[in-house]
Formats: sequence, C-alpha cells, structure tokens
Amino acid sequence: MKLGGFSGKVLFVDLSRRKIWRETLDPKLAAEFIGGFGICAKMACDLANSDVFDPRNPVIIGTGPLVGTNVPAASRLYAFTRLPANGAVGWGGGGGVTFACNLKFAGYDAAVITGRAEKPSIIKIEDDDVEICDAGDLWGLGINRTCEEIWKEYGEGGIIAIGQAGENLVRFSMAFVDRLSTIGRGGIGAVMGSKNLKAVFVRGTGEVEIADRKRYEELCSQLLDAIRSYPYTKEWQELGLLKSLPLVPKDVYLQIRKKRVACVSCPVGDKDVIDVGGEVYSTSALNLLTPVVMGMGDYRKAVKLTAALDDYGLDMFEFYGLLEFARELDRQGKLELDEEVDFTSLNSMLHWARMITFRQGAGNLLARGFAELEMRSGVKAKSVVKGMRAYVTPRGPLVWNLFGTMELGQIVDPRGPHVAAGGSPTYFAKRPVESFRKHLRRMGLDDAKIDEILSDGIRIGKLLCYSHIWFTILASLGICARAQINRFYSAELCAELYSAVTGINVSRKELMMRAKGVWRMLKLANLKTAEDIPPEDWFEDGFRDYVTGKPLSREDVERMIEEYYEEMGLSFGR
Amino acid sequence: MEIVSHPEKCTGCMRCMLACSYTYTKKFSLSAARIKIKLPEYTIEFTNDCNNCGKCVEHCFYGALEVEK
Repeated sequence: MKLGGFSGKVLFVDLSRRKIWRETLDPKLAAEFIGGFGICAKMACDLANSDVFDPRNPVIIGTGPLVGTNVPAASRLYAFTRLPANGAVGWGGGGGVTFACNLKFAGYDAAVITGRAEKPSIIKIEDDDVEICDAGDLWGLGINRTCEEIWKEYGEGGIIAIGQAGENLVRFSMAFVDRLSTIGRGGIGAVMGSKNLKAVFVRGTGEVEIADRKRYEELCSQLLDAIRSYPYTKEWQELGLLKSLPLVPKDVYLQIRKKRVACVSCPVGDKDVIDVGGEVYSTSALNLLTPVVMGMGDYRKAVKLTAALDDYGLDMFEFYGLLEFARELDRQGKLELDEEVDFTSLNSMLHWARMITFRQGAGNLLARGFAELEMRSGVKAKSVVKGMRAYVTPRGPLVWNLFGTMELGQIVDPRGPHVAAGGSPTYFAKRPVESFRKHLRRMGLDDAKIDEILSDGIRIGKLLCYSHIWFTILASLGICARAQINRFYSAELCAELYSAVTGINVSRKELMMRAKGVWRMLKLANLKTAEDIPPEDWFEDGFRDYVTGKPLSREDVERMIEEYYEEMGLSFGR
Repeated sequence: MEIVSHPEKCTGCMRCMLACSYTYTKKFSLSAARIKIKLPEYTIEFTNDCNNCGKCVEHCFYGALEVEK
C-alpha cells in the first residue's frame, strides 16, 4: 500500500565501505511510530548501539509525512544519534529550512549514515543519484563559507553542514541546516566530524502525494483562515521572538535587519539576515539573548559573537556554561586559564571560542565538556544535568525562576536538558488557569484529566507528560512545535491532517497513544546513560513554584518527577 | 490581471511553489511549480506556463506577491 505524505524509502549510506542502498519503509512501522521523529527514534533505538565516535554510531536524519505539503510550518527535520555529551540515544531538531522538503522530494523519509569516510566527504543526494564526494576543499571552513561553496558548486538545495568545532570533535558542536537553523544540542556536529562528514546536500525533484485531497483541502483552508485572522500574526512576522524578548530596541532591529527568512511553509519565519556596519550575518535575532543576558550590552558585539559561534558550530549555551565553570575553577586554583574569561568583552569571548574550537590550551579540555572538567577538577558544576548545562535556570544563561514544564523537562528529557519538548503555558509567567485549560484541550486531554492536572495548583509532572506527547505528535508529523505555531494546531486537527495526508486513519486518542509509545521507548533506551537528578544549586534560593512563588524543595521536584512517570506509565520501582 | 512580486518581502518559505504545483498537478513538488524562488538570492521568477491564476498570491504569508488588476 502506497501511503500519502511518505516517500516510502529510507536511504542508507555506509561511508567506510562507500556503499549506498535504499530500503522500503515498512508501512506498519510508519503507522506505529507515526513518522519523522517517531520513525527516526525507532531506528536510532535499534541501531545506535555503539560508542559515540565508533563508526557504527549512525546519524539518522529524517522528516515527517506532512513535510513537502503546504501545511503551515510543516518543515521540521530531526537528526538522531548517540550523543557525545552524555552517551544518550538522542536527537537534535532543526527547522528544516529547505533541507527537509528536498529530502522528501528526492524520495526519502530518512537517511541513515554510518561508517567513517577515509577523507573529508560530502554526501550529495539528487533524487536517485547519491554520491559520496570529496570535501577536502571545505574541511577547515566555517559553516557559512561551506554552504556558500556548496551552493556555488551544486546549485540550489538543502544543506546540513558542520563547522570547525564538529571537525575537531568538540563534544557540544552542532550541525546547521542551510547555515541558519541549528541541529543541537548534545554534539551531533562531532559525530558527523568523526565520520569525516562535512555536509549533506540534497535536491529533490519528485512529488508528495495526498491520500484524501478533499479532506486535506478543507482542513488547510480552515487552518489558513485561522492564521490569517490571528491578530498577532503580522507582529510575529515583523519581530519574531523579539516581540516577547525585546533584546534590541525595535527601531534598531528594523534598521539592521535586511531580511526575514523562513523555513518552508512557515507563516512566522524567525531567521534574519542582519547588517551590522556593512558586515552581513545570517542568524536569528533571538540568539542575541544569551550574550546580552550574560553581560555583552552592545548588541553589535553580541551579533558578531553569535555569528562566530554559529560559524564554528558551537552550542552557545554550553559554551557560556563551560566558561562560567572554568572561570570558577580558575578562581579556586583548580584549573589554569591562560587568559581571563570576560563575558562583557567580545575579544575575550572570541578568544575562547577559537581556543575551544581548535582545541588549544585549556580550550582542549573545555572541548570535552562538563563530564571531563568535573572529573579533572573534582568539583561538581552548577546546573548540570546529564552532562549538559541546563539553560533555563534562575542564574542563566536563560534567567527564569518559575518552575514549569520546560524546567522539569530539563531533568527528565532522556537526552538531557532540553526545553523544546516541554512547552506549555508555564513558558510565560502567571498565566490564568483558563489559558491552561485551553492549551490542554488543544493537546487532546479530556475535561477529567484537565481537572486533575489543574487541581492543587498545577501538577507540573503530569502536565509535562502531555507536553512530551504533544511535542512528539508535532515532531513526528513534521510541524514546528514553537508556541507561535502550535497554537494553531490541536491533537484532533493533527489526527485529521495525518489521516488525510497519509491515508492511515487515526483518532486523536490513537495518535496520542502512539506518541506516548515513542517517548517511552526513548526513555527506556536511555535508562543506563542518564539519571534524572535535579542539580543541588536549584534549591539554593533558586527555582520557585509556578503558582505560589514559594521556593521549591528537592522533595517537591522529586514528587513532580514521580507524577510524570506515573502519567507516562513508567514506574522504575520508585 | 498580472502578478507583481516584491522580492524584498520574500522569506524563501516556498509556499507559493507548493501551492502552484498542487494546483496544476494535484501533487506537491518544487520542480513542477510555475513560480520559482531562487535561493539564497530570493529572486522570484515565473515560467512561461504561468497563467496568472493567483494561487501563489493567495498562499503567500508575507505580501511578497500581489495581484495587479
């Protein structure tokens, strides 16, 4: 049976043996694991059984069945591997920009890359024509130049590329999509680097079919009306996430911004081309947040720093977290730094970005991440969970002291402290109960469950379980999970769209159960690698209860974790 | 009726291309579209087959396409 939405093929590339082959996507696998995120997660749990830099550790890049259609913001791609940061079977999700739809149009729902090329290589995919090409000229280049050179050589198409940080196996290096969108955190860039894989290029000239066009057109027409009539759509388009986080004055931003850039089919593109003093950068203005919060008051310097970090392919949160820890160790006499770490100085930050990327001096140690630094110094770093810096904490890099689903999600997420999957209205402070009720209904919960979650304040653990299910649905279909997008979707609508596009008829409840199964599978695959331990410093005048504002105790958080797993149907003998 | 493009407003989301291909082939593709967004230059071009039906205008979120009557 030919499914709509899916291309029906998985591409396999073994870089060691220079072997390329295709396998048919089993429709039963598609149905059980939904698509995109879910299918890639299943393949990763089956195939990622080696050490992180073992050539057998796969990089699995895939996209959902709605990608390639014109469902708004259906553009996402996910890359799974065993992560260098903590050894977890994990993933980086990225806005697909033009890569994900091109992969689909080339005829693949996913690409599974294993082995290690003898020399720097690029995988070039043009429909059935797949080649492992020499990338010697690109090795040593930053992500920007890499993409420009590839486009110059191969023409239009999507690119996933690494910078020098990935080449040098920095354990918190990322890959970038079309030089704009990050595939992070956890070190996927380093896994690509260990394979001598500089980039993947794809151009597809094929098609995506819809199983039930009439139903699809009706659903999309309603969705389009909802987006067009939403009063803030224009403002989101104009300012993006700066609407909520005015890091740069609006007039300044509009002056330096030369263009908004969007992923395929996205109504609220959040990437920018920025011109600062004649130098043009492709980035997202939101990336200015961390440098500004950490002390770099001059936005022009912050732009330069974020552009440099992006070009190397460094995870900014881990970069800041590690430098903060290293500076503390230096002060304690437990680490010798050859130059001061000054968060207010562009030169200091650029120096450390270079030292880490090229693994020079103390930068070589920092490039190994928190686990190594903790082991060498005998000091426990603050706010580190599963080998990575939690980035929403009361003290930065993203400063926030109310404990909601994103904050708890940093502990229980099987891959480590990520926040994308744990979204809910707790993202904003002091939201009225009614906004939770509305959100929970969209996530597919019935009234009895909503009452249970909203009894006794907000049961954050239970709520997070449904945030993870909701994220898994969106990610598996290929829809962006950002609040500005997912507000237009519901579990009911997702089930309808999925059924119309693929021809696999599912109800809201079935879709939620399958998504829960995917998340549980990822948790079970990571029992040995990652423990859910809240950092001690979170309880030293740190996080506060979302509703009452009272300080949280370790016991409070442990109770939330227990409730989370009860709701997930996993007990772990607690 | 003619379609006027404003490349400076184009974000490269390619919804216009997807809408166009679906209108004429009932399938989504970039190659079958009669409107072409060239990236990373963000130029907007129409093929000779374009009949100014306006579907691309209808689907553009950013005002980069407009129908001039």
